[in-house]
Amino acid sequence: MKYCVGLVAALLGALATALPAHAATPDRVRVTGEIIDTWCYVTEIMYAEGTAHHQCAVWCAVGGIPVSILGEDGNVYMVLKVEDDGDNVANPRIVKIQSHKVTVDGDLYVRDGVRYLVVTQVADDQGIVKLTHEEYGIQPFGE
Amino acid sequence: MRSLLFAIAALAVSAGPALSADEWGIEHEEVVRFEAKVVDLLCEIAGDCPPACGAGKRQLGLLKEDGTLIPVVKNFDPFAGAVNDLKDFCGKQIVADGLLIADPLMPMMVLQFKREAPDGKWSRANWFVRDWAEANGVARDSEQAGQWFYNDKTIKAKIDVGGPFGIPGLKPDNE
Repeated sequence: MKYCVGLVAALLGALATALPAHAATPDRVRVTGEIIDTWCYVTEIMYAEGTAHHQCAVWCAVGGIPVSILGEDGNVYMVLKVEDDGDNVANPRIVKIQSHKVTVDGDLYVRDGVRYLVVTQVADDQGIVKLTHEEYGIQPFGE
Repeated sequence: MRSLLFAIAALAVSAGPALSADEWGIEHEEVVRFEAKVVDLLCEIAGDCPPACGAGKRQLGLLKEDGTLIPVVKNFDPFAGAVNDLKDFCGKQIVADGLLIADPLMPMMVLQFKREAPDGKWSRANWFVRDWAEANGVARDSEQAGQWFYNDKTIKAKIDVGGPFGIPGLKPDNE
């Protein structure tokens, strides 16, 4: 009996260390906004919205930089999962909709100032609607 | 004199290059070096945990001892993230050297150097281009690798269809 109790305790201990300590209950949200490159937008190292930045946003997504949604509320939501697909590095499905205006439903986790979004459904995809190239050209090199 | 120069040269070789982050002049940036555990962000946040932190298919973060989680979004290569630099350290403590971008919109980390804690060997965080070059059969220091973003097959295929603006038929004025 003592052996069984010890075994159960060891298994519970192993489980506790295997699971993340801070997994939290998310808020259900609907977010509408543009799929953007997180790095270029947040750091403002260049103009990073719409058609002017589309090519660069594709480079960065394929290069493995996290993709976010710039919400109409001005917040940036880092996309960690889209529906049943947990791959979030250079995922072809996400690269395909780079710069699109989308509406998504999902679970929002806020931690240490970062808004992480687990998209459970892409409710609408309007394609690329923000035409910025006439004002900003092709970011960042003009070609 | 010659022996002194030899000694200095030997010391330089043994010590390696000075390993500390460059400032990039980004608003809210702060040069940092700290120890943290490499974690899969989706696992840490939502408990969705594949083996080996997704083996390169998951965005990674640094979990500090006080529980602070920092997403690592950038490495030292142009237009590239740091997953290739960190994936082999999944679940391990590393010493991360780089820039913390403490932007209120989204705090994030640029990784410039890394080593396994406490005393692993430093390496520059530029393994995206290293791995891209190997996968594409070119030298790491070649022009193709240096401008990987112009030479990547996936990117070329997408830009061929949608153009630089992402909308088929919409072309720059000079074309």
